[in-house]
Amino acid sequence: MVQNLADLARLHLPVERQDALLQRLQRIVLAFDALRQLPTEQAPANPPSLPPLRLRPDVAEPPLPIAQVLANTRHHAAAAFVVPRVVDA
Amino acid sequence: MTAIWQMSAAAITAAVRDGHLTAREVVTSCLERVHRIDPGLNAMVGERADVALAEAASIDERRQRGQTLGPLAGVPIAWKDNLVLEGELATAGSRMLEGFRSPYSATVLARLQRAGAILIGRTNMDEFGMGSSTETSAYGPTRNPFGRDLVPGGSSGGSAVAVAADFCPLALGSDTGGSVRQPAAMCGVSGLKPTYGLVSRYGLIAYASSLDCVGALARTAEDLALWLDAVAGADAADPTTVQAQGPVATHVAQRRDLAGLRIGLPQELNGPGLDAEVAAAVQRAVADLRELGAQVVECTLPAVAHAVPTYYLLATAEASSNLARYDGVRYGLRRDTVSRCEAMMMQSRSAGFGDEVQLRILLGTFALSFGYHDQYYGQATRARALLCSEFARAFASCDLLLSPTSPVPAFPIGSRIDDPLAMYLCDVMTVPPSLAGLPALSQPCGFTADGRPVGMQWVAPALREDLLLQVAHVFQAHTDHHLRRPLP
Repeated sequence: MVQNLADLARLHLPVERQDALLQRLQRIVLAFDALRQLPTEQAPANPPSLPPLRLRPDVAEPPLPIAQVLANTRHHAAAAFVVPRVVDA
Repeated sequence: MTAIWQMSAAAITAAVRDGHLTAREVVTSCLERVHRIDPGLNAMVGERADVALAEAASIDERRQRGQTLGPLAGVPIAWKDNLVLEGELATAGSRMLEGFRSPYSATVLARLQRAGAILIGRTNMDEFGMGSSTETSAYGPTRNPFGRDLVPGGSSGGSAVAVAADFCPLALGSDTGGSVRQPAAMCGVSGLKPTYGLVSRYGLIAYASSLDCVGALARTAEDLALWLDAVAGADAADPTTVQAQGPVATHVAQRRDLAGLRIGLPQELNGPGLDAEVAAAVQRAVADLRELGAQVVECTLPAVAHAVPTYYLLATAEASSNLARYDGVRYGLRRDTVSRCEAMMMQSRSAGFGDEVQLRILLGTFALSFGYHDQYYGQATRARALLCSEFARAFASCDLLLSPTSPVPAFPIGSRIDDPLAMYLCDVMTVPPSLAGLPALSQPCGFTADGRPVGMQWVAPALREDLLLQVAHVFQAHTDHHLRRPLP
């Protein structure tokens, strides 16, 4: 299970760490299992104290200067980030 | 005579305004204090001494020219390492973000600068806010000035220590499930988590976006009110923000007693499971509150029994999504030992994130995964809604709710770090108001026999920070717990 979750989460987990992590995860999930028994039929669809969710207007804003953004990585060329090969040639 | 570094923000800004002190003298005094004390505490992870002194000099020049000064003119403030300031490092306590310099500023920091505050440096924190002890930081643990073998609480432990050790009168934290209030309690200072949306999250490195709040720590309620007035209110860059209800600092000292105030004690947060000395300190505070005229009644919030799993399932689910952006491509740590892009991302994330962050990403991924989503994430969402309803019912008969802030006082470094569940249970008091988006404040209410601070937590209806701060001020005016300093 841990390997599957790690793949979904894009984490590289060496085999020697997987058992320890699995034990921790299992213990937490077991402890949290009681939540599944909580009757929630009366739960309101719109909780009273939480503000309604709003989306930011879909309007283009001026972007950050490219040079400033690229300054946070060594891996860039021209105005682009450089990554290792994605597909085989 | 009071040293400059012992002065409150209110006293500093009044003295700078009147010309009794220069902003440069204030900043110099606080930075000297940091340099003398912090090597034994590890609360600060970076400072901007030269820039801060230049900004202080600029404030002094403005005063000499007779120009208007902001409400926080000359007040040194430290900020948690997960708030970004243009041109400064911001790492969220993580190797993943080592070397990252922000190209823009968080709204809350920009507003403080506009108010005349001097931002002196960044404070240590649990990595990405994930911890209750400031032990998971890539910079190493922060130590509690009340006992250097003790944790300061977390995740804003560096900010709590910065105030407790008198590096500055105000420090910024972030509070997702108690990360301002719990370290405030463990370090003997006050901490405010505002109503969700009252303070902009723009520029706060995200952990769990539906819960994250920017908060502050200070020694007095008056200073917290000054901070809130400077930063609260709508921000076009954060669509979850709301309008402020008006200034609070001018009203903080209006109330002389607590006559007519109805304080509810939720049974679920004031019963079994509490450390005996914490329970006793809060009971003594309740007696003080009755003497001040408050009516104290018991109330009930049954869904609180499920608050810890509710919080951790929702927060980790949101974290697993928020932290997906760290892939080694655009900033931060990158492992270049592999030739394929996907492998580079996985290697970088595993090398950059610490154990607790990886555990929470996995837990969140599990809670959102096919076949389990409704049983865990969906059920936690419904439990959160139930809890919100219960708070609304409680506030129909009470003005404020009161509980301990933490079930235990500060514990020894290393004693819980290998037991995530024991650590998560430290948050049992603080996560309920976070889930409901309500404002909450922790303030000192006593000490254990061996001198560890105990905090109590006030919870108010949404946008009633004015009430929280007034009541905290009244309690401070009649007690001296907040005045005890751990270091000379």
